[in-house]
Amino acid sequence: MTMHTSSTAGTLSSSRKFEFRRHPYLLAVGVFILLSIVNAILQPSFLRPAVAVSNLASFMPLILVAVGQTYVILASDIDLSVGFIISVVNVVVVTTIEALGGSGGAILAGFAAGIATGILAGLVNGLCVAVLRFQPIVTTFATGIIFAGVALWILPQAGGQVPAIVWRTYAGAVAGVPVVLWLLAAVLVFIAVFARTRFHTALVAVGGNMQAAYQTKLPVTRIRITSYVISGLFAALAALALVGETASGDPLLGGAFSLSSITAVVLGGTALAGGRGGALGSLFGAIILGLIANVIFFAQLPFEYQNLAQGLVILLALAGGVFVARR
Amino acid sequence: MKRTSMFLTALATATVMATGAFAQTFTIGLSNGWVGSEWRTQMIDEAVAAAEAWALNGVTVNVIVQSANVDVQGQIAHVRNYINQGVDAIIINPNSPTAFDPIFAQAAAAGILTISTDAEVSSPDALYVGIDQKGWAMMSAAWLAEELGGTGRVVAINGIAGHPANQMRVEGYQEVFAGFPGIELVNEVNANWDQAQGQQAMQTILATFGDIDGVWVQDGMADGAWRAIEDAGRVGDIVATGEIRADFIGRWAEQGYTTGASVNPPGVMASALNVAVLKLLGTELKDGVFEGRYGNALYLPIPFIDQGVFDDVMAAVDGMPGHHSVSEVVGPDAARNMFFQ
Repeated sequence: MTMHTSSTAGTLSSSRKFEFRRHPYLLAVGVFILLSIVNAILQPSFLRPAVAVSNLASFMPLILVAVGQTYVILASDIDLSVGFIISVVNVVVVTTIEALGGSGGAILAGFAAGIATGILAGLVNGLCVAVLRFQPIVTTFATGIIFAGVALWILPQAGGQVPAIVWRTYAGAVAGVPVVLWLLAAVLVFIAVFARTRFHTALVAVGGNMQAAYQTKLPVTRIRITSYVISGLFAALAALALVGETASGDPLLGGAFSLSSITAVVLGGTALAGGRGGALGSLFGAIILGLIANVIFFAQLPFEYQNLAQGLVILLALAGGVFVARR
Repeated sequence: MKRTSMFLTALATATVMATGAFAQTFTIGLSNGWVGSEWRTQMIDEAVAAAEAWALNGVTVNVIVQSANVDVQGQIAHVRNYINQGVDAIIINPNSPTAFDPIFAQAAAAGILTISTDAEVSSPDALYVGIDQKGWAMMSAAWLAEELGGTGRVVAINGIAGHPANQMRVEGYQEVFAGFPGIELVNEVNANWDQAQGQQAMQTILATFGDIDGVWVQDGMADGAWRAIEDAGRVGDIVATGEIRADFIGRWAEQGYTTGASVNPPGVMASALNVAVLKLLGTELKDGVFEGRYGNALYLPIPFIDQGVFDDVMAAVDGMPGHHSVSEVVGPDAARNMFFQ
């Protein structure tokens, strides 16, 4: 720490740098506040509780999958298959509930089967990458194709319906508080508690310097497998949220989540090289992506420019983070 | 063609609306979830033009267009934003047939009319206004079988496995070919509605099954397939389905293809918009107009282009850019006659 010896101005700038380094999500929070203001100007109803909650329902699947992706990236790996895990979990849940007749028990069994599927898919990824030492990008790209194929095999075309109670619950409230707010609270508690575990410290150590982690006898293989399993679990939870949103099965549902989850993680300040960052930032990163889509919507741009504008704003948000962090 | 159909639309609305004095304003949200082809751009352009044409009848139709590459979740967010904004109707080219059931129920609860076009949706709270994809395939399959005199070895090149429109089209041609004992369906492949993959698939098919007589290939890949047929020097002895784009129609004329195509007109969204405005004006649907597997479909007529109407087709795309598709819009008057009391 050179903070104590530098001049006043130097102290300020290096302490700010220090803050951003210790809390990389602060940048994402800043972008989040900025976008919220822009959104509220463009869409006056933005701050109405019902609208805010319905926006959160839209963002929740990406929030969940981005939080899971964070732990893989922290260990300096990557999971390109999460979108297809979502697809396969989605069809497993819907076909299980339908096969068992749609009762309350069938819904629980379907959700359990979906979570088991997500964990299993994560385990496959983890074993391939950490035990067989396959390259993570290529491996999860390939397993993603396999998961997509399995989803198509289980449900060749979109269809199937879950009982209305599922989506009415997701869109509804428990004890006067909307269900998506309960989910958000649960995610925040998980992030806070998990960040204080020894496992999380070890995960960051593996991502920061894998060789050193080996040499200090950290169980690197087990840690990397576990991070993929967590990612698979969160992809499954995202799929459950999507079942709440869509109430149906669609084998092509998830694909786009792979890259948007990685974008959310990076927007949230986690380094793709691993070892630095956290899931709270990814949560804000996912909300930022959703808010950008909203801003584009309410800015009422000519439709020819909507994709272009969205891409530019995302790039700007990423570049802004890099710029501020470097100063 | 577009100008003509716009003019006809205007003329038709002028006559249909002469009956009553309207001074109404409606806001309609248009949602398109995929911008991978010029067909989609033309679809939106024609819908916007149809909305503007309502002004001639004293009805102001404001449209808000959302068109971007989004996943299902992103398109649900579009619908949610339209609901939060308080539009009168939403017209959507949906990215999933089933996933919109809950959000459409929420739209209906907010008193918003929802119409899907180009792809059917299962929601009991929405209407579908567009062509019957199965009928689309049956029409061109029957044309192919008859062009071959009822006998021959045929291959099929399809779009994306698992996509509902693709599935309905496969059912359509399989049903037709089953009715022709002399037609042998030797292979069916998927080329993902991609011209390059269509060309590659056709090359492989020609190398593997040299003695084929007919190709049933979906639009978006037929141009590629025909290039492969040309490269193999087989234009003279293979009959295949084609495209509805101006550039393909030009090559058809030059090379003397034996081809024909069912038209899935980009004007379907404009037709859906006209139906939406009629409904918003309080017009009642006829009894028993609904068709389709979900019982919520209003099917539009499917034009067919082949040698028999070639001069009309050439005239329709004359001077148009290569990506312009042959189109047809069901104007307010025609829509009223077809579906309304």
